[in-house]
Amino acid sequence: MTLPKISQIDRRYLYILVFIFVSIPLLSPLKLPIPVSEHTRRVYDVTQALPTGSVVIESFDFGPATITENRPQAKAHIAHAKHLGLKMVVVAFWPSGAPIADEVLKEVYGADFPSISGYGTNIVYIGYVPGNEVGMQTFGDNIMAAKGIDHYGTQLGNFPLMQQVRSAADIDLWAEWTSGTPGEQQVIQFVQGRHGGSSAVPIVAGGTAVSVPGMMPFYQTGQISGILNGLAGAGEYESLLNVAFNYPYAQGPSLDAQSVGHLLIIAFVIIGNIGYVISKYRGGKSS
Amino acid sequence: MIPPVGDIPADFSLYAAIFGVFATIFIYSFLWKENPLSRAVEHLFIGLAAVYTLAFMYDAAVSVAFWGSVEEPKMAEGNIIWILPILISLMYFFFFTKKYFYLYRYPVAIVAGIMAGMMICGMIQSNFVAQIQGTVTLPLVGETPEGKPVWGGWPPPGLNSIIIIIGVITVLTFFFFTWEHKGPLGVSTKIGRYFLMATFGAGYGGTVMARISLLIGRLRFLYETSYQDWFWAWYLIPIAIICVIIVALWERSRPKSTPPMTSPAKPTSTEVPPSKPSEEPAAKPAPAKPARKRKSEG
Repeated sequence: MTLPKISQIDRRYLYILVFIFVSIPLLSPLKLPIPVSEHTRRVYDVTQALPTGSVVIESFDFGPATITENRPQAKAHIAHAKHLGLKMVVVAFWPSGAPIADEVLKEVYGADFPSISGYGTNIVYIGYVPGNEVGMQTFGDNIMAAKGIDHYGTQLGNFPLMQQVRSAADIDLWAEWTSGTPGEQQVIQFVQGRHGGSSAVPIVAGGTAVSVPGMMPFYQTGQISGILNGLAGAGEYESLLNVAFNYPYAQGPSLDAQSVGHLLIIAFVIIGNIGYVISKYRGGKSS
Repeated sequence: MIPPVGDIPADFSLYAAIFGVFATIFIYSFLWKENPLSRAVEHLFIGLAAVYTLAFMYDAAVSVAFWGSVEEPKMAEGNIIWILPILISLMYFFFFTKKYFYLYRYPVAIVAGIMAGMMICGMIQSNFVAQIQGTVTLPLVGETPEGKPVWGGWPPPGLNSIIIIIGVITVLTFFFFTWEHKGPLGVSTKIGRYFLMATFGAGYGGTVMARISLLIGRLRFLYETSYQDWFWAWYLIPIAIICVIIVALWERSRPKSTPPMTSPAKPTSTEVPPSKPSEEPAAKPAPAKPARKRKSEG
């Protein structure tokens, strides 16, 4: 098969190649080295620098469509915060994020969650707060004005933690796991901007690989303190936690598969372009 | 150990795994060819997502209205202020009537007004003022805010600052249309165009990365999901693929239906269409009704 014809190959052959190349590292992990990027390390450093008892908001603003990327990010960060003895208020501004958060909390704290010691004093799961941007702004101004009960139906006023955390002014870090709107930009606009800027309400965010290029201007200005970039960011963060306290490095095979998949796509792009240039050259000559 | 036939496990996770395998394979079969199974799962997903979101939002709204919050007493305790947003939101349903359609516009106008006011304030601060501040305060000499030398190490932070400054200025000139892009302005716009192309390339790279991630997520589900050491999700992969092939072959063997006619055939001289009294004046163009008349339609 000549190169010009390769550029006209049926795309279904490419799908099969992607499927095979991505499957190989998943079935037999290659254990490729994972260098930790600067913005992932910043998420780790910012969280690690918080003193014990600091309050973190964990916001689940994504749905099942991006569960592969956002879920491991959020789970790793919650495990990190729990390990450091930080207090957490978990919330979802997306309806589809609420059950995912419940599932993640049960994995980190055990199947008995919320019937655990420390629920109400160290962690509260508020659940879904309706209203999108309006709900987010109300939550930042006065948490208990945005919703009166937690995800399991208990009045928020009964929890000692919620007596301590009344608004965004009382929190030390906002961890935003997002794949759209409302997301990190809405937290910057309606929470951080209204409560003293990035020094008062630092934000770390985990986004899908599609959305992270859009987050970078906010990282450069310091409005976002650190970013986890898709599945790779989750894997890098897991590797840091693995060194710190033996957190399971579950995304290793996924990152191997991603590296192999990217190499294949790069090869497709190069071969396709060579074929295109050759066919253009030959076509020009003949005419 | 496989349980005896008839002893159906009560654990929902087994059925979720079985359903998940079939749904995943059926959806991915779209890449080969669109088929009834891929369409069925697609429609199922859309329907489930719509109903789930509706039910969840209704539940949350009711819990806020009836249970109130710590700051606001419950509606059940006599705080009737919650009736106001409920009534306004119910006005959305006038969308389905012709006579009172105009009432539907009021909740839309209220929401649009609130969102416009909120977004303008928030966007100006976070996306405009803060971005300009971040650009003009980029370190070019001395030390960075983190205490590192601006021109130390590789790549030096100062180099990043210069690239960002050049990028911001040249891209801004690309969108400057008062003068023709010639001379120094032409050079600047050309550099700005390269910066934009690099941005689009980064976006495309991120898209590829995200799509590969999604594939990895589904493949890990297929390869790793198990139930009590006797059921593995990948057992069902060949069965699901055979289902797709059977349905595709069945669809191929079906006689193709004739496409619907786009325009009615002209009646022959013997086929005179029945005349309706209401259609007779149609030969004369009716005067355009003013927009306000819509309200009286019923």
